[in-house]
Amino acid sequence: MDTSNPAVLVNGELLRMYVGRKVRTVIQVLQSNGGITTGKSTDEHQLVIKGSPPPFPLTNFVEVIGVADSNQSICAERWTNFGNTFDTFSYNQLCQLANGEYKSLFL
Amino acid sequence: MHASQFDGNAAFSGGGFMPSQATQTTDTGFSPAKNRDAQGLLPLTVKQISEAFHSSDEKSNFVVDGVDVNNVSLVGMLFNKAERVTDVGFVLDDGTGRIDCHRWVNETIDTKEMEGIQDGMYVEIHGHLKGFQGKRQLVAFSVRPVTDFNQITHHFIQCIYVHTYNTKLQKMQGGTSQMVNPVLNTPLQNGSKGYQAAAIPNQFSGQFSSDGLKGIDQMVLDYLQQPSNLAQEKGVHRDEIARQLKIPLDKIMESIRSLEEEGLIYSTIDECHYKSTGNG
Repeated sequence: MDTSNPAVLVNGELLRMYVGRKVRTVIQVLQSNGGITTGKSTDEHQLVIKGSPPPFPLTNFVEVIGVADSNQSICAERWTNFGNTFDTFSYNQLCQLANGEYKSLFL
Repeated sequence: MHASQFDGNAAFSGGGFMPSQATQTTDTGFSPAKNRDAQGLLPLTVKQISEAFHSSDEKSNFVVDGVDVNNVSLVGMLFNKAERVTDVGFVLDDGTGRIDCHRWVNETIDTKEMEGIQDGMYVEIHGHLKGFQGKRQLVAFSVRPVTDFNQITHHFIQCIYVHTYNTKLQKMQGGTSQMVNPVLNTPLQNGSKGYQAAAIPNQFSGQFSSDGLKGIDQMVLDYLQQPSNLAQEKGVHRDEIARQLKIPLDKIMESIRSLEEEGLIYSTIDECHYKSTGNG
């Protein structure tokens, strides 16, 4: 068991609290060229994802796990396609709960 | 040795040749103290498991939010998959932490299911939480790839819901768990494991007390279900019940007959001694 290096569930707003730490978030991909991908967070912030995207084509929604680089950018370590439809509202609510009242279950 | 006393799980913890599912069904089947409430699938995060209270040597030995943890569901990414002769080992990372898991492969269906799973995939795992040599690990009996990623959101929301439900329940039960039996003026305990009954709703009340038992029947049953009486192998003499409850013997006998018909009590060494069929 190892809980020393969690990836915090974040949305665009919460990202700023975890600069330098491992985070995970879901974005809706807007544009992807080379090492820079831009996307919209579940709370409608624009985020920049650095690091080369995976060899497979990205779907509309993508989960990125990486280190929070600034309050609006993440250095991606791992990409997962979440498909073309995703309930961003629930995910966003979850991010808030996981960083608020129920933080003890996650961090 | 009596079959029901044989504890497969303890004897073969982590052994390579006990089918995990078979072991589990065996040990639940023989324990009347546990009903299905205690055997449910609890959605948890790895973080919660890491903080679960581990109560020593017993086999159902983890407690989260006051509830016994046996089977859990986890959702996360799978890593370090290692196929061995009898099992597949892997690590599950749900973002809150990592936990070692393994899956016995006895049947073709196990092998097939595990073949399709690769490192880095999101999976939902159902498994049995185990403490082995001081380490916590999960013996998985189902590892399925996540195909709709809302399932991840759903899992964590469910973790929150269950956590809230169980902690609230505990607070509520905290106030009422020391009910006093009006007849005997002693704290009324539901069975021998009071704290469990308090932690798990309706463990006994749903089974025995609710459905339309009338006054004296209930009192007789309550009396026979007191831990000290449950512990007596020969049960309790009907005269003693009458004396303790201060109820005439003929009324007691009426109740005994109806409880016996319902299968809630049985006569032991002779027709005068009775014992509850509940948790012994």
